[in-house]
Amino acid sequence: MRFNYVFVEAFNNIRRNALVVLGAVLAVFISLFLVFGTLIVGEIVRINTLRWSEDVRVIAFLRDDFRQVEALQATVEDWAEVDKVVYMSKPEAYQEALELLKDRPTALRQIEKEPQLVPASIRISPVELDRYQTIEQRLRNLQGVDEVVSAGSAVDQIIAIRNGLRAFFWVLATALGIAAVALVANTIHMAIYARREELEIMKLVGASSWFVRTPFLLEGMLEGLTGAGLAVGIGASLYRLAVDNLAGLPSFIEVAIGDDFLVQWGVLILIFGLAVGLVGSALSLSFHRYVRA
Amino acid sequence: MIRLESVTKVYDGGVVALEDIEIDITKGEFVFLVGPSGSGKSTMIRLIMRDERPTKGDLWVAGKHASQLPVWKVPHLRRSIGTVFQDFKLLPNKTVYENVAFALEVTGRPRNVSRKQVPQVLKLVGLSAKADKYPRQLAGGEQQRVSIARAFVNRPLILLADEPTGNLDPGTSVGIMRIFDRINRTGTTVVMATHDHAIVDAMRRRVVQLDRGRVVRDESRGIYEQRTAESAAPRGAGAGAAETEESEPQAESVDKDDTATVAATSAVPAAPEHGDDGDDEAAAEEA
Repeated sequence: MRFNYVFVEAFNNIRRNALVVLGAVLAVFISLFLVFGTLIVGEIVRINTLRWSEDVRVIAFLRDDFRQVEALQATVEDWAEVDKVVYMSKPEAYQEALELLKDRPTALRQIEKEPQLVPASIRISPVELDRYQTIEQRLRNLQGVDEVVSAGSAVDQIIAIRNGLRAFFWVLATALGIAAVALVANTIHMAIYARREELEIMKLVGASSWFVRTPFLLEGMLEGLTGAGLAVGIGASLYRLAVDNLAGLPSFIEVAIGDDFLVQWGVLILIFGLAVGLVGSALSLSFHRYVRA
Repeated sequence: MIRLESVTKVYDGGVVALEDIEIDITKGEFVFLVGPSGSGKSTMIRLIMRDERPTKGDLWVAGKHASQLPVWKVPHLRRSIGTVFQDFKLLPNKTVYENVAFALEVTGRPRNVSRKQVPQVLKLVGLSAKADKYPRQLAGGEQQRVSIARAFVNRPLILLADEPTGNLDPGTSVGIMRIFDRINRTGTTVVMATHDHAIVDAMRRRVVQLDRGRVVRDESRGIYEQRTAESAAPRGAGAGAAETEESEPQAESVDKDDTATVAATSAVPAAPEHGDDGDDEAAAEEA
């Protein structure tokens, strides 16, 4: 097959409909730029909540008469929602209590008088923040566990904010993705219409449907890819610019996200742009009688 | 080459275009489809090129069971069929050469094939000198020659023509018919739907007459209009020349000069003709 024919045709189509093509490319660009921006902001939020939540643990206090600590620890570690389990023995807990209570002399004296009051415990970090409730439930059913505590409401708030952001991102991405597909479909529709005589003759002389359709699919993919490329390029540049200019931000907010993240999502967005173009043009082709056999 | 077995075509909405058609066309035949508008000629052409499927019955084209052919195999069938229409269907932004080469290009033939075959076929239709002209710079007859060249450039087994002279004056039509005749002589099966009495009467080829979707006459070496028993009696091979001396129905008002020319040229295909454009020299040279 003559691949250069396909490329030449695709480029000719684009040139002939420059303005409409520009519209579609801009639509893909704006959609994917917003998606990329949302992703970057989302990542910054994630990194920060992660830092804040590193200390969030579920603590299970153990009965004083409980002896199979190692078995218990192993069981809990096997749970899918559990990341890390740390055992804190009575003496360790006592040391920690002395440290924690050093500003409260009354309580401190009480503890010092009766060190056996401080219980041993296991401290559990969840894999995902929102799994802490499951962990709590399961811990309560275990033998040897006296009481379960965690930083419940604070965790709930963080989770709510994060889920809200995620939902917003998905709704936005879906709506914009549909708009981009529709706009690419429209440009392909125009291109097909502009070439209807040629397509009619191609079918007449027995051009295979591959030959008839591929230039349009390629055109759609090029438009999607160009839009996505602009979105990634401009998005990443703006992010870098912002990081450089936000040096005076309070230190507890981290805006630096990894290059890995940018590269990974940049590539995914390029692929997504390609897919948007492909789906748009395929959609248009499936509706058009000029390209059907 | 083409066989229709009890073919019926009913369009959406219940219009019966063809009813129970039985036709067998062998390789190398030249067949005229005649009949009034709406009698089913174009439908038959469209069925043969697999633009439509029969509602009932079986259809074989170029060794393929066209009525059962899956959609993805249609392009392959089309490559063994050339098609010519009344409205030429040329691409205005391509030259004569490019229009003809287009048929080879889009079916994936390498460029050196078109470099060899396009000049050959342009010579056959007498347009070698106009290869670089655009369709709008050509007369109607010349445009139709380009479309014939495009239909024939990949040497199809079958050439279908739907009113190829419908937009042309009688003198120009004669030149077009000479080309069809020449193509037919290479062994290509030609099926032509036409209203042109003069051409059919002069060529004396097989005539299939349709009326309201049915075959009402299938006659080898026939003429356009059905005659009475005596006048439709068998004729000799040279009868074409005598055609003009017979009484023609006045209503047809055929220019007798042109009729005679077609008759003469169909007998001697390469003979120079009058009243056509300046490409005859090229055509004559080729012969």
